[in-house]
Amino acid sequence: MDGDWEEVNRLPLPPPGAHAVPTPVATFAFDTNQELLWIGNEYGRVSSFYGTELQRYTSFKAGEGPVRQILFHDKGVIALGSKSIHMAMRRGPPIWHITHDEMKDLRCMSYTSRGTSEILVAGMQDQMFTIDVDKGTVTKQIPTKEHYTIMKRSRHICAATKNGAVNILDSITFNVIKTWNAHSSLINDMDAQHDFIVTCGYSLRQGQSYMLDPLVNVFDLKNMISLPPIPFPAGAAYVRMHPRMSTTSIVISQLGQMHIVDLMNVNTSNVRQANVLSYLNMFEIAPSGEALALADAECNVHLWGSPSRIRFAELSNPVEFADPDDDPTTMDWSVDTPLSSVGMPYYREQLLSAWPSHMIFEVGAPPPKIDPQFLSTLKATEWGGYGRNTRNMKRNQVENTRTAEKASTSIQAPKFLSEKAREAANDASMEKRINDVVDAIGAT
Amino acid sequence: SQTSELSRELENGRLLRLMAKLGAINERPEYEGDRNWSENGERYMLKLFRDYVFHQVDADGRPVLDLAHILRCLNKLDAGIDEKVCLTSRDEQTSFVVTYRELKKQVTAAFAELQKPAKGR
Repeated sequence: MDGDWEEVNRLPLPPPGAHAVPTPVATFAFDTNQELLWIGNEYGRVSSFYGTELQRYTSFKAGEGPVRQILFHDKGVIALGSKSIHMAMRRGPPIWHITHDEMKDLRCMSYTSRGTSEILVAGMQDQMFTIDVDKGTVTKQIPTKEHYTIMKRSRHICAATKNGAVNILDSITFNVIKTWNAHSSLINDMDAQHDFIVTCGYSLRQGQSYMLDPLVNVFDLKNMISLPPIPFPAGAAYVRMHPRMSTTSIVISQLGQMHIVDLMNVNTSNVRQANVLSYLNMFEIAPSGEALALADAECNVHLWGSPSRIRFAELSNPVEFADPDDDPTTMDWSVDTPLSSVGMPYYREQLLSAWPSHMIFEVGAPPPKIDPQFLSTLKATEWGGYGRNTRNMKRNQVENTRTAEKASTSIQAPKFLSEKAREAANDASMEKRINDVVDAIGAT
Repeated sequence: SQTSELSRELENGRLLRLMAKLGAINERPEYEGDRNWSENGERYMLKLFRDYVFHQVDADGRPVLDLAHILRCLNKLDAGIDEKVCLTSRDEQTSFVVTYRELKKQVTAAFAELQKPAKGR
């Protein structure tokens, strides 16, 4: 990493406000194909920020409770919550949302052997699931004895357990190929890239308190053996492999001490200090390797990089913003202004305003009568009357006022037989027409 | 002339039919608890679009009544064009960038649902 790296921006979350609740970062990730940083918070919300200015782009609710992890797909982003998985377009609208009775405490997910068309989700629970990303459906439920907190995929799926081990899972069968005991108590952070797994973790010291281990453990996936650890006296809290320099890793302490170390030559390292007033609770590197994000306990996200070269994605597609509404037309509400003064845009498909042609509407029936007894119970005010609804019907229920009218006439004029026959025929045909319509709608 | 008088009123029927559809689908109490209309459901954008079209405000938060804006939005929705629009929720926590094509698709789906014969309701 070059000498000119520095903090290029700092994003306070949420922006300082009188009534804003603190929203620490629950998870964050750099997009793989647009210049976006995605942040999930404790309340199930996912927000995206554009470019090095970290300009607010889109934001949506992915579920309840903390967002655990975010994965990227060509069509959108996948956000994992404890009890649900949500996929949305980068522009915000949802694509699918999955809940399941057996999704109780999900923590992590990973793509499988099927590229980006399938993910494996797991957590502090006895069931894992595979999900078809294109269809948005659960395809398989896999019982598991191990509970997982972090998952990363490289050559295999690497899954951190809750007690300091890493299980290496076959990415087709999800069977455990090997268990690597990385730390004695628990794993705080893990990354897997190329042929290496790197971990930071805790040990129980003097049987009392958990302390961050003063080293990063390294595992060689090609030869399936552990390598000598990287010493890190300040206590290694977070670690990422550099996405383009295959043996370079970046290690950070809770207080922001940053070492850039080559796994093949652990004795020389490049040291930086991030300016944090509290402690760090998350660290991520961009797929380009040209930007870092750090989250501190005071809800700030620090963006690091070289001011001249910083960018997030390896190959960036343009971010889709709203089109500017540059039509200057204004008009008054006067009755003389024709509504046609605003023209239609060019179109080729059927308009939304087209109503189905098979619908038949009853017109010209007398309005419903208000029961005089009900009227008498109302309290009168200057704007009208009010009182309880004593009508034995639903709110806004449709009444057939034609038959009601007929029935309510107590004394009916006698009718000729021919008149009665004609009425009966009319009623029947009306019924038939309604049935036809119901059939027509049912058939569509 | 008669033709110009008529052409003035040409769009009225179309706009009313469109408004009738929007009025029929928006804020029905039956949707209470329906996930499609909830904050992470796909119909949520229709609520935000209603606000975008009809509830514009100025910098001081006072209502802006711009008939041209309403007509422009409705016409674009009617045609379902690919133009993108930014929709924001009242608490400003949710922001979507959606196309009129996507909005039209959601209105069509919501309206089709209303036309289905009653089943298990």
